[in-house]
Amino acid sequence: MTAPVQIKNLFKTYTRRRWLGKNWEKPVLKDISLTLEENHVLGLVGESGCGKSTLCKVLLGIEKPTAGQVWADGKEVAVLSKSEFKKLRRVMQVVYQDPYSSLDPRMTVRQILSEPLDIHGLKKNPQERNTFLKELLASVGLSDSLLGRYPHEFSGGQRQRICIARALALNPKILVADEPVSALDVSVQAQILNLLKEIKKERHLSMIFVTHDFAVARFLCDDIAVMYQGRIVERAPAEELFENPQHPYTKALLAAVPSVCAPQTEEAVVSQEWPERKDWACPFAARCPYAQEKCAQKPFELNEIFPRHACACGVRPFATEKKSA
Amino acid sequence: MTRSDETLLEVRDLQIEFSTEEGRVAVLCGLSYALPKGRVLAVVGESGSGKTVHALSILHLLPPTAYIGGGEIRYKGKNLATLGEKELRQIRGNKISMIFQDPAASLNPVLTVGEQLTEALLAHRNISKEQALQKAVLLLEKVGIAEAEKRLDEYPFQFSGGMCQRVMIAMALALEPDVLIADEPTTALDVTVQAQILRLMKELQKESGMSAVFITHNLAVAAEVADEVLVLYAGKCLEQASAEQLFKNPLHPYTQGLLNSLAPLHRKADTLPVIAGYPPVPRREIIGCPFAPRCPFAFEKCRQHCPPLFEENGRKTRCWLREDRK
Repeated sequence: MTAPVQIKNLFKTYTRRRWLGKNWEKPVLKDISLTLEENHVLGLVGESGCGKSTLCKVLLGIEKPTAGQVWADGKEVAVLSKSEFKKLRRVMQVVYQDPYSSLDPRMTVRQILSEPLDIHGLKKNPQERNTFLKELLASVGLSDSLLGRYPHEFSGGQRQRICIARALALNPKILVADEPVSALDVSVQAQILNLLKEIKKERHLSMIFVTHDFAVARFLCDDIAVMYQGRIVERAPAEELFENPQHPYTKALLAAVPSVCAPQTEEAVVSQEWPERKDWACPFAARCPYAQEKCAQKPFELNEIFPRHACACGVRPFATEKKSA
Repeated sequence: MTRSDETLLEVRDLQIEFSTEEGRVAVLCGLSYALPKGRVLAVVGESGSGKTVHALSILHLLPPTAYIGGGEIRYKGKNLATLGEKELRQIRGNKISMIFQDPAASLNPVLTVGEQLTEALLAHRNISKEQALQKAVLLLEKVGIAEAEKRLDEYPFQFSGGMCQRVMIAMALALEPDVLIADEPTTALDVTVQAQILRLMKELQKESGMSAVFITHNLAVAAEVADEVLVLYAGKCLEQASAEQLFKNPLHPYTQGLLNSLAPLHRKADTLPVIAGYPPVPRREIIGCPFAPRCPFAFEKCRQHCPPLFEENGRKTRCWLREDRK
């Protein structure tokens, strides 16, 4: 069986054409290879600007890749015709970060949830449609009496539930969630996280989950890919990544997460903010406390160092810790 | 709590209202606290809890539709709430200064960093431009910006988010204020940068001995920086305690629920314990305890009468469950 999502050597460069002179180019994704397995949640974790949202856009077909291939549900996204693309939409849906800007303020909940059904010509019988919408709302924990309301009548958490319901309306196999809880209130985040976990289980969804929050990733994800400046620097099953992080960047990120129980340790503070020395080949080397001469020569490939655990670091300062553990 | 000489900033029964088409809406109902010298108070709350509005009101920075409906804000005995603009200018930036959430939006994009840093110095201190620039270099170095002299002539867009926030901190510290009000200073930043900024703020606060009001929605950030924590919900203080007590042994069901619902980093959880329901909309008047509709322990009394703040062992809790334990 093919994996729901497969990405192979993906590059994405944003270019601005100039009338005279050289074009302005900004490489955002560099040589990304990833597989989302059936019924798994793959977490993309990284700081802002590392390319995680761009990766989602390429996967959803909103942006075209510069090089490399992206397959979703066994079809190559970038080369699909319009009608094939429409079919793919039924399989792959998305939930965005900000539930305030992703719902049309002039549409009622009924219209919002009906739109995907109308586009794909599903559940045309009014009665059938009605029961379906009610069930849909119930499945995301909302009362069916809310169908006639407008988005402004809801709180952020409720809106995000509506966004999730809209994504589920077509009964997709793949759900792309781009920071779905980071705009929500603290007391509501846990509700939405539980809901996502529940529907993933019930509907056998495979999910790409973008987040900058490691604690959230640990709760929801089966596999995690850590991104830095357009590259994947480490990729492993979630538990393995948290128990045995190998890349200095992963380690630094984990240490930087503030916690209510444990005070921050010294290594939390990564020395430099942005690379000062430009001739490093490894993108993290300029901030890395373990950088060596070889980090300047050529970028490290993402190599499998343990079963299913890949890391793009040639120094690997924590390699010995595994043995002693 | 009695007002000792050590108390720098005292907020007493502060009430803030917005005038809307539907009439007056209270967003902060009777907030009181005292900030002693050299201490950091974290005000924790969700969106709409009134935490930012309270911060803005201290320096009269409220939007035109909002006003102080009652109460006092005392700085060294002076009531800021009734102070005129002219007198307030002597305090704003000079004695009490502020850092805002979005560093990129709070800096003026068409002025160089140097111009912005020296503006307050030139306005409040009787010094020459050269002296002010020298001071600005020192300030930038203090907040950890390399090649400070060169960077003075640069514009905010040439700085990263974390660097902009460092500049904001340098600006806020330029006049060596007694009180620093920081409104979600790290919310817009990445975690690694957040860790750096929190550490920097902690160091500078210790070094200068100033007091700080730190506003955040992130409990973990509050745990990192604060001596004392105040939990706001729907415009009311639900719990106030020392950081150690609050995180080790939260007494209010809301604080308990919040702490439980955080996804743990150090282990894998199957489901997260949640607080049911959603935070209240500020528009409606609340009868009884504001948290009662979401509270697993709520009983009849909670729905009818809002509990007062019960004091025990130096901490305050607004919950009827604490009534008989006094």
